[in-house]
Amino acid sequence: MSTKRQERTTREILKENISEGPRMPLYNPEALSIIKKRFDDWMKSTVRDADRVAWKKTPCTTLGSDIPREMLYTPLSNKDMDYGLDLGYPGQEPFTRGIHANMYRGKDFTMRQLTGFGSPEDTNARMEFMLDHGATGLNVLFDLPTIQMYDSDDPMAEGQVGMSGVCIDSVEDMAILFKDIALDEVTVSIVTHYPSNTAILFPMFLVMAEERGIPWDRLRGSVQNDMTLEELVRSGPEYIPPQDCFRIQCDNIEYIRSNVPKWNFITLNGYNLREFGTSAVTEMAVALVNGIETMEELTGRGHDVDSVADRMAFFWSPASDFFEEIARLRAVRRLWYKIMKYRFKAKNQRSCWMRCHAQTSGVSLVQQEPLNNIIRAAYQALAAVLGGVQSLHVDSYDEAYSVPTEEAALLSLRTQQIIQSETGITDVVDPLGGSFYVEALTAELEGRILDEIEEIERMGGYVASVERGEIHNRITGYFTDQQRKIEDGQLKIVGYNAYRSQVEPPAINVFRYPEGVEKKQKERLAELRLKRDNTRVEAALSALGDACRKGRNIFPFSLDCARARCTEGELFRVFKEAFGIWKPPSMW
Amino acid sequence: MKRRIKVILAKLGLDVHNRGVITVARQLRDAGMEVVYIGNALPGQIARSAIEEDADVIGVSSLGGAHVTLGSALVKEAKNSGMADRVVLLMGGVFPPEDGKLLLEVGFDAIFTPGATGVDIVNTIERLVLGKTETH
Repeated sequence: MSTKRQERTTREILKENISEGPRMPLYNPEALSIIKKRFDDWMKSTVRDADRVAWKKTPCTTLGSDIPREMLYTPLSNKDMDYGLDLGYPGQEPFTRGIHANMYRGKDFTMRQLTGFGSPEDTNARMEFMLDHGATGLNVLFDLPTIQMYDSDDPMAEGQVGMSGVCIDSVEDMAILFKDIALDEVTVSIVTHYPSNTAILFPMFLVMAEERGIPWDRLRGSVQNDMTLEELVRSGPEYIPPQDCFRIQCDNIEYIRSNVPKWNFITLNGYNLREFGTSAVTEMAVALVNGIETMEELTGRGHDVDSVADRMAFFWSPASDFFEEIARLRAVRRLWYKIMKYRFKAKNQRSCWMRCHAQTSGVSLVQQEPLNNIIRAAYQALAAVLGGVQSLHVDSYDEAYSVPTEEAALLSLRTQQIIQSETGITDVVDPLGGSFYVEALTAELEGRILDEIEEIERMGGYVASVERGEIHNRITGYFTDQQRKIEDGQLKIVGYNAYRSQVEPPAINVFRYPEGVEKKQKERLAELRLKRDNTRVEAALSALGDACRKGRNIFPFSLDCARARCTEGELFRVFKEAFGIWKPPSMW
Repeated sequence: MKRRIKVILAKLGLDVHNRGVITVARQLRDAGMEVVYIGNALPGQIARSAIEEDADVIGVSSLGGAHVTLGSALVKEAKNSGMADRVVLLMGGVFPPEDGKLLLEVGFDAIFTPGATGVDIVNTIERLVLGKTETH
């Protein structure tokens, strides 16, 4: 591992490098002193005692930050705000107001609904349905055996093939999955989750494109490739050690950067971490500290910052505290810019962009009165768009029961289209910029995210604190507390622990998985094992094992495995043999 | 002396979601039960662990869609090993309402879906364990 631990924390580096030159506060001191005097008068004359005493109130919301809020925000809440330094113009530093000058006037947010269930044919049909109804991007989710890197005929996969996602065992399945989909036109998010799985599934995607005659430089989309998902958020039977996982994450980035130039090679994932049960602040701190460590590793391997940084992507989970979600997106955009510019000395503006996909909060959905989930997801989606995201998935109301029906998936897409076409909010860039409340909250959140980054850095950094279980502990502590707040009614959920109806609402349609997928997939796999050149398979797997052990970039070797029709489980076995099995820290 | 209730908890198969089962493990432990969480496991492994640990309760968590296929297999394992009438079988997770009914029909003693509280789960376990002890 070439990563050298920085002696100083990100906060210290930013403090040293951001010149404390003359700031030009937006409000002049004279005006502020008059505003302050009138504020004090107003407090005495008009505000009730009870409100004065309870001036600060902490919202209790799903996975919220617990930041106390004042009853009213004024210029006094943003006394030092310097328009140019803190907000600026969209498309310019510090990008608080958006990464593009014209934002949604120039390019709509990509409507990218997650899709995946059953066989590759089933998911291909659902993707075609979504594209026919105006979806502008694809987002493919894999079944449990695929995501956990077992073949469909592995004893571990029994009874689970095609559930929660689509089953993929080899490049042949990938070809069926994307049959007739114009991969040089539509952008594809491949939800590979883990670095290990990215090194297995993305080569299959690339080989599929190669065999269809689509040059790799025309492919656009993203993989997740995030260690957080493999070592921290996941529950699985077998894990490789965090150091090796991090190395694969960086190997994947290196190869994809050079060979698939328009592909987003990592999606720093806050989403699943938050869904697992962590706060609005920790979600972003962990993703950023992973991003920082990844950049350190890549520059340590000799890459120029600007040659890698412009394809970093992020994935966030907007939950229920409306203004907090908007402020958070603005805050993390400003903070990532500062990190890239002042810690990594990026010269290219694009390297400083916090580009992101957002998905509304799955854990905020409840089974009681499921139609209420439509409203929850719509407000969360609205917050995401007001916060300036690049692409969006809206959860479906029936997901507290199963994967969505076609009808529910369409309603989610329609929610996006209504925001885009009917509300008018996309016509103006960063419409809440300058709000006394939103700006104060943006600054507060930025500070708190940086605090948590510093805590992790002081614990020895991201990979080390995952190894030792410190981040695991922080998360379990938070979600245990959150569950207590739900059970004692402090955190209100309408229809569940607040305003609970005495009448059972009518049942909704719930998705049923197609029959016979497992049998069909096992037959397909048996046929593949018979017809492929098994000598070539063995040679490709053995070369991959060598690359793992000798520290060479593994990606070209897994591409050869994909070409040879190796299966997913065969590649994972190579990783397990080369790196050994890691036992994650206990979380209870 | 009344012995502590012993519970084996597992994630069913390859399901990745473990917040629920960790929360329940902590709640049961705080209620004074002895909890053994074995992580992701298949029905056969879960049944074997229950025998080895001489557990009173098996609780499995499934949010990945395999509740019926693997859940039925677990009931079968429990019956084959002769522990079905003395060990309480529970499942928690995300599944359609009619599947909940189906799981009770195939042999689960209780199911818990999102919204179940720690108190619900603890009380149900205590009641069911007492029931099995009395009839056994």
